[in-house]
Amino acid sequence: MKLRVQLQCKNLHEYLKELSPEILDRLYNHPATCLAVYRELPPLAKNYVMRMLFLDQPLPQAAVALWVKKDSEKDHDQCVSVLSGLRLWHSQQLQGGLQGNILNPVFKDNLRIALLGGGKSWADQGDSLGPDRHARDVESLDKYALERWEVVLHFMVGCPSAAVSQDLSQLLIQAGLMRTEAGDAPCITSAGFQFLLLDTASQLWYFTLQYLNTAQTRGMDLVEILSFLFQLSFSTLGRDYSVEGMSESLLTFLQHLREFGLVFQRKRKSRRYYPTRLAITLSAGVSANSSSTAMGAAPGTGDSGFIVVETNYRLYAYTNSELQIALVALFSECLYRFPNVVVAQVTRESVQQAIANGITAQQILHFLRTRAHPVMLKQNPVLPPTITDQIRLWELERDRLQFSEGVLYNQFLSQADFEVLRDRAQGLGCLVWQNVAHRVIVVSPQGHGEVKRFWKRQKSHT
Amino acid sequence: MVNVLKGVLVECDPAMKQFLLYLNETSALGKKFIIQDLGDTHVFILAEVVHILQERVGELMDQNSFPITQK
Repeated sequence: MKLRVQLQCKNLHEYLKELSPEILDRLYNHPATCLAVYRELPPLAKNYVMRMLFLDQPLPQAAVALWVKKDSEKDHDQCVSVLSGLRLWHSQQLQGGLQGNILNPVFKDNLRIALLGGGKSWADQGDSLGPDRHARDVESLDKYALERWEVVLHFMVGCPSAAVSQDLSQLLIQAGLMRTEAGDAPCITSAGFQFLLLDTASQLWYFTLQYLNTAQTRGMDLVEILSFLFQLSFSTLGRDYSVEGMSESLLTFLQHLREFGLVFQRKRKSRRYYPTRLAITLSAGVSANSSSTAMGAAPGTGDSGFIVVETNYRLYAYTNSELQIALVALFSECLYRFPNVVVAQVTRESVQQAIANGITAQQILHFLRTRAHPVMLKQNPVLPPTITDQIRLWELERDRLQFSEGVLYNQFLSQADFEVLRDRAQGLGCLVWQNVAHRVIVVSPQGHGEVKRFWKRQKSHT
Repeated sequence: MVNVLKGVLVECDPAMKQFLLYLNETSALGKKFIIQDLGDTHVFILAEVVHILQERVGELMDQNSFPITQK
């Protein structure tokens, strides 16, 4: 009865839906947030928002329903639920007594500002500080971002050379990606393994979500941090921004971002910072990237993929990076190592070892697909079907038996008795299995108490 | 009177079920662990043998697999 923890990467909307209404309203006070949320809406919802943006009175729901053709009812309903879930609009009584919809006024004003300009400028440009003597160009920013993020991943894999701050390792432990026994160095958990095999954008987003969840316990203001994050995602790569006017908690947040590689700051006390590519792609989140798994270029290396998989289960990884080699070694046996290649073999033992560590076959295949060499990308499908099928079969081998705890009821005296008890168990939702021909039912242990009481009452009545 | 038994419900394919019956017959796990045979794909067993059972199934699968590649 193993429980395999599945890593779930929520996208921006799901995360926002979980926030409380007051926080959402405060969040919409900032134009950058409104624009980011608007960007992520499905096209039909964007259309609705646009149409209602400049209206000051509520619009009857019937009128809104007329905007779609009869056969697109489903899309319309989905739109409505998305918009209400994010509290972008709410219903209001019209004069005629009909139900109308009106856009959230805070959201409306700020989206207008975002689209038309005006209002406070989002971030002070660094112009006020004069030209930067130690200016960094885009390339070095990318390199810096990659380096920092890899140090975090290295630390997770357990390379002794990687060292991170106390704060960061605390965060990793809280996120469930690592665990620490009393006094020992932290070691990785099965969720951590799954995390390692994701692509960079998903990793970043998952990490940020965890950070936001713990932000409140740290005494930081969630709204401020989120607004700053969205602001960052709209900044230009390669341009410096000043830290003028940022509060204490925002400055701490900036230091953390610096450690993950999302911004670059020359020194702790520097008054200017440069956002890196990682920060800018962050708010695009998981939704955009998960749909492009087949064509995804290798994350982090900045250029194309580097793994070639052959139908004889051999794997060639054209890389020098310790981290990538460690990741490949998670589920395959390394055979040879050359200055620019690592030759490995995907075997039954290695894959089942990975599965025992908590990685699923799906993740291994996702990892291989997203880091596939351009030569591999030319074939369709990208990975040879023999390999994908075999990895899945090796995973299924371990799942031949499914266990569920339960209590067996048999030897009923009559069909009527059996049916009464069976219906009661079904009503309670704890019926695990039944066989009508033999009059046998299996009830879950939680429901057993209730069913037993019910049965005793039945017996005493008849 | 209705009979009430506590245990674990196992769902598997028919081939695997025959293997479980075989283990039961030969008391390979030290004792008879099947409380009730519930049909082609289900059996009801004692709760404490679950781990050893997984191991045995693993061993069976290992016996039937042959390394196809050479190093």
